[in-house]
Amino acid sequence: MVWPKDVPSAPRSGSAQTGLRGRFRHWWLARHPVTDTWTLNQHNIYILPTRGGWAFGLTLLVMLVSSINYQLNLGYVLTFLLAGSGLVSIHLTHGTLRGLTLHLRPATPVFAGEPALLEVVMSNPGGARHGIGLRFQERPHDPRDAWCDVPEQGQASASLSMVPTSRGWHPVPALLVETRFPFGLFRAWTHWRPASPVLAYPRPEQPTPPLPLAQSAPGGAPQARQGQGSELDGVRAWRRGDGLRQVVWKKAARSGQLVSRETTAESSRELWLEWQATQGAHSAGAEGRLSRLTAWVLAAEQQGLVYGLRLPSQQFAPDRGDAHQRRLLRELALWH
Amino acid sequence: MALSTPPRALHRAWPGWRHLPRDSRDTLFQLAVIGWTILPHYAHLAPWCMALTALMLFWRAHLAVTNAPLPSRWAVAGVLMVAAALTLWSERTLFGKEAGVTMLVVLMALKTLELRARRDAMVVFFLGFFLVLTNFLYSQSLATAVAMLLSVWGLLTALVLAHMPVGKPPLRQAGALAARAAALGAPLMVALFLLFPRIGPLWGMPQDAAGKTGLSGTMQMGAMAEIANDDEVAFRIRFDGRVPPPEAMYFRGPVLTRFDGREWTRQPGANTMTPRLRSELQLLGQPLRYEMTLEPSRLALLPLLELTPDRSDAAPQLEGINAWLRGDLQWQTERPVAERLRFQASAWPMHRHGPRQMTLALREHVALPPDHNPRTLEWAAALRRRTDLAQADPRTLVAAVLRHLRDGDYLYTLEPGSYGKNAVDEFWFDRKLGFCEHFAASLVVVLRAMDVPSRVVTGYQGTDPTPVDGYYIVRQSNAHAWAEYWQPGEGWVRVDPTATVSPNRIIRGASLLPRQGLMAGALGSVSPQLLARVRSALELANNRWNQWVMNYSRGQQFKLLQSLGVQAPTWQDLALALISLLCAGSLAAAGWALWDRHRQDPWQRLQRRIQQRLALLKVPVQPHEPPRTRAQRVRQHLGLAGEALALELEALDRSRYGQSGRPGLARGWWKRFAALAAATGGR
Repeated sequence: MVWPKDVPSAPRSGSAQTGLRGRFRHWWLARHPVTDTWTLNQHNIYILPTRGGWAFGLTLLVMLVSSINYQLNLGYVLTFLLAGSGLVSIHLTHGTLRGLTLHLRPATPVFAGEPALLEVVMSNPGGARHGIGLRFQERPHDPRDAWCDVPEQGQASASLSMVPTSRGWHPVPALLVETRFPFGLFRAWTHWRPASPVLAYPRPEQPTPPLPLAQSAPGGAPQARQGQGSELDGVRAWRRGDGLRQVVWKKAARSGQLVSRETTAESSRELWLEWQATQGAHSAGAEGRLSRLTAWVLAAEQQGLVYGLRLPSQQFAPDRGDAHQRRLLRELALWH
Repeated sequence: MALSTPPRALHRAWPGWRHLPRDSRDTLFQLAVIGWTILPHYAHLAPWCMALTALMLFWRAHLAVTNAPLPSRWAVAGVLMVAAALTLWSERTLFGKEAGVTMLVVLMALKTLELRARRDAMVVFFLGFFLVLTNFLYSQSLATAVAMLLSVWGLLTALVLAHMPVGKPPLRQAGALAARAAALGAPLMVALFLLFPRIGPLWGMPQDAAGKTGLSGTMQMGAMAEIANDDEVAFRIRFDGRVPPPEAMYFRGPVLTRFDGREWTRQPGANTMTPRLRSELQLLGQPLRYEMTLEPSRLALLPLLELTPDRSDAAPQLEGINAWLRGDLQWQTERPVAERLRFQASAWPMHRHGPRQMTLALREHVALPPDHNPRTLEWAAALRRRTDLAQADPRTLVAAVLRHLRDGDYLYTLEPGSYGKNAVDEFWFDRKLGFCEHFAASLVVVLRAMDVPSRVVTGYQGTDPTPVDGYYIVRQSNAHAWAEYWQPGEGWVRVDPTATVSPNRIIRGASLLPRQGLMAGALGSVSPQLLARVRSALELANNRWNQWVMNYSRGQQFKLLQSLGVQAPTWQDLALALISLLCAGSLAAAGWALWDRHRQDPWQRLQRRIQQRLALLKVPVQPHEPPRTRAQRVRQHLGLAGEALALELEALDRSRYGQSGRPGLARGWWKRFAALAAATGGR
């Protein structure tokens, strides 16, 4: 895994860090390495009785006392059978996690404010495992926690979503992988600090502001028209690099072939998205300008324009297509 | 066809077991397990309790099938209050065994109505385990054990299901997982069961002792009727040599001398044997050697065969409890017997005891309360006035009364109804109905009225007709009362008036006819031999169960230790053995964990082995290459000769990474591959 240079090296501190307990937890977490592939073994799995486990112990004690007081040999058998099963469940619960290899798939970049999907793949070298839960360390239990079973010698994946609030690299918060299988008397868990961060693009301005005027490409006939108003001039077969919004879905549904809109100006115009041109963008300063530029990049790509980007320190030559769009969005996300 | 179609409303609600949503299915399964666990209580719980429980379970099942919301907490609390009131009404208390079990059953059913969170589910499981235990209070038979094993399995399965949150796991899978956990825990159970030191009760439970048996040291008319129907085993006895006939088997319990018109009680002064009493005890003939396994009776006595003296070679050798012979020849223990006792002793069926000459002490045995039973007193006086009886000795008088008993249409019945203040009068002249205690008490009263010293003896009489594995079973229903009168020159002589009226009761030793179930009845009419064989096999299994599991006690624990070479074991030795066994188990587990840490992932080990084997065939592969890349290398280097190997490698690759891969392929794969590789290399 290549470590992006802009990523902060430690996970962002949460609100739970205040107080002694929070500090302890922070110290405890910091002892764990930061890695994208986390193999669970005896060093990194913790196991303790649950509240149900303590209650079970108490039940057993009451049953033992009853057996003694009423001299019930079958009562002894029952109590000891349950005690044996309970003790064995320590091993089974621990074994549900032991040997698993967890791997975090690189997350697709998202726009700030949109949920990013984190997919964790669990590889199982042994027998079938059940009831493995995945959640963020900082968040309490939640019915939406991801649960999965991992088949024998197979793989399974569970997904969590996190919502980055601002643009830039976001480290994935510490994850908690836990299980209470089979009896819920013990809970085995591990802390995992994934390495790969999530990239969040700036939040595009809503509603989409009108695109600036395009300049004709060198050698082309000057055409002054607003990009926003580009008319539908015709359709052509879909080509690699055409955006989804360019597809004429109605026609595609009828014919079964993907077809894209073609605008007359498509190849002949060159649009520069300029930092300077965003002066009126709200009053939000740099972030507002980046928001507007992001919205423009999206709109320009959607309309199939050839567009370039000029930031105060950098300039990116006009081009089009997915790769170009991603590159520009990434620059906008990381600009400072 | 029309009959098998369910009503339309039900049909609409019931989508079929396989199509039930998971939550509904799990709830129904859990309810079925709970119902099964409660079912054996049907025999001894109040009818309202069973009805209420069944109603609530069915209601909950209906809610589960129709996916309706659960009732509010207020409704549940209301039902609980009603149940508590009903318990108080039917049991007169909220504490004690019966009331406790009643409340537990109701609570269990109520708790299913508020399964809201995981915590509620856990409470249901723990209540369920405890409910299983309560069944053992009433029966510890083999059948109960098997039924409750099913219950525990069901509860563990439901517990496993509750912790498999993904999808809809089949019941069978959850059941297998639960059985596996229980099987893994079984060695620990066996070790604990064998070695956990058996100790006496931590505290007494006074409420449960009363009414459990009639041998409580006091007797009222009619008090024994209830236990006459109690089939529970009181003790088992095995004879080393000659087996006495059932009619000679009298097991002596409390001897009742004082009578206040209503209740018979023991003589307070006769607590120990005096030298004089000892000198009056004369043992005749050959002794019978026997072994007795006494169930916890919660009474401070040992019902030993008449007559077991306190000579060192005859008296029972007991562990952990002291016992002595009272002056009235009853064996007394220092505290209620709350554990199972097994011991050997010797009895002399032929014996004489009591003063040979009239003494002042005998006067106590002719005392009668004034103002009671005037007609009996009058009748006794009339008998005494008869010419043939005026100067008769006690034996002749007893014979005369017994003749009257035999010829006077007296009837032996277990349900004689209740008697009033002058019970003996009613018995002799009005009702003429009763069972052992009526006969014994009435005989003693009339004898005393004729100035014959006499007393009531309670105990057990007779056994089950056929021995099982050499053991004769004596049940609570064998409880009995008889009389002793004083004969000059002989001492105390036993007389059993019940035998006069109902000889069967004494000779067959069984107060009740053995009940025949429907199955047994049908089988018996087809093949009596087969029925007899099945029954004896069942009895044998049951007896083995009794001897090895139910009667496993401290004595057997010590024997186990002795057979392992421990001299004179104590309970500390037991604890030590248990702790060392547990430590050894923990060490073994720790050792396994250490070994497991260094164990490799089977997939990676397989890849390493493949690499080594291919290297032998001169096919160079890298450690990180997946099987499909290795298949290409095999094709490059070996050409057609390696095609079979390449195909196997590709199959392995598909099974690991393919969409529809079968995860289990790797098991037999290596053998095939190794054989192919050997064949390829040889070519």
